[in-house]
Amino acid sequence: MAKILVVDDSSTVRDEVAGFLKKSGLDVATAVDGKDGLTKIKGDPGIKLVLCDINMPNMDGLTMVEKVRGELANSTVNIIMLTTESSPNMKERGKAAGIKGWIVKPFKGEAVLESIKKLAA
Amino acid sequence: MNAIDGNAVKENLVSKVLVLDDSYEHSQAIKQFCDENNLVALKVHKDRILPVLQSNIDLGAILYSESYGDSSGENAEIASQIHAIRPELPIIIRREHSAKLDDLPEKHRSSFCGAYVSSDLPSLRKVIDEYIFSLEYPNALVRGITEITESVLSSQLTALKISLNTPYIVRDRVIFGEIFSLIPLESSWCRGYMMLQTEEEPILELIDRYSPSDPGANFRTVNSLLGEITNLIWGAFKNRFIGDATAISGNQVQVPLVVNHKHRYISFGTENPQLCFFYTLVDEDTGREVKLYQRFIFNLNWSPDAFKEITTDVESLVDSGELELF
Repeated sequence: MAKILVVDDSSTVRDEVAGFLKKSGLDVATAVDGKDGLTKIKGDPGIKLVLCDINMPNMDGLTMVEKVRGELANSTVNIIMLTTESSPNMKERGKAAGIKGWIVKPFKGEAVLESIKKLAA
Repeated sequence: MNAIDGNAVKENLVSKVLVLDDSYEHSQAIKQFCDENNLVALKVHKDRILPVLQSNIDLGAILYSESYGDSSGENAEIASQIHAIRPELPIIIRREHSAKLDDLPEKHRSSFCGAYVSSDLPSLRKVIDEYIFSLEYPNALVRGITEITESVLSSQLTALKISLNTPYIVRDRVIFGEIFSLIPLESSWCRGYMMLQTEEEPILELIDRYSPSDPGANFRTVNSLLGEITNLIWGAFKNRFIGDATAISGNQVQVPLVVNHKHRYISFGTENPQLCFFYTLVDEDTGREVKLYQRFIFNLNWSPDAFKEITTDVESLVDSGELELF
């Protein structure tokens, strides 16, 4: 089964999002910041979709995306930002880095589950 | 980004003042003054003054009478004790004959920030404006903060009914509860912090009740929940009031924040009053409450003339929680 990686420094968010996705039958891993996320994406080719926060310590989410596409040369994993941010500039930076989509928190699992399943397939 | 005129809203913000004045003749006048000037008057028995002041009752100032107490010596002593334990609270003295402090003994004088006489209440208004309502807050900001926060609290604490008191101005520095979060706010019109303060136990009880599958909930769980609530409010605040504008110059001024755990006291290095919102979240099934204080401390910059609320083209909006695909 394809795996989804949830990257967020908040354990509340990781538990909520990963918990919902697991209950929906999906295989889920978590990471605590961009640096951890980068390590996990590099180490697990089974990760097909990443849900990633932006404002995190050690490495922010957009920097992580840029490194996934750049240093890791991984252009296949789908990445959706799950963040409080909604500024057009940030979205443009995300698009330029090759993200697939954007969700402004709070996470509403039922509203996005089908799209997430498709992107993780 | 469109600018919306934010009319300063001194009229809607209140502040609590502790009235230490035994004069029957003056009591009606001070009550009326408070009603007309957005002040909430609190009274306390003389024996309870110091214990009350050592708790967090979020005062803006103290209105004190020259004749309070059983003697002039006791009057001076009480004022001195209050000033010693709560130096950040302005004490305004009502005098019989003079609205000045010059003729008071120096040691006694230092307890007070201003004086007024009963026959000249506009002079009290001036002191109140100087020490409590010294910062003006745009209506749109106050309204926006409550909308954002209530929305976030509803989404994170779904089982609870939320109510909000009238926002108020505080000079107090005492921390409520055992847990608080701090997050910087930076824009062209403000630099400072948002702080959320709450108690741990009511939140743990809530988690136990509504997430029984999480038997390992402990203080870290509460930390994380408060952290995420702070993050969500901060994000929405940025989206609504700051946007993409990069108005921060390279040369950033910073001041230390000092927390004294023993006295539950936090200093932001400024005497500026703080904008405070108090939320009560009630579990209607059990009647149990979670209290949450939200404070805005614009200690590094406050320029309300430059305040703007960001409006976005409605057609380009995607609801929060919805996936916007690129």
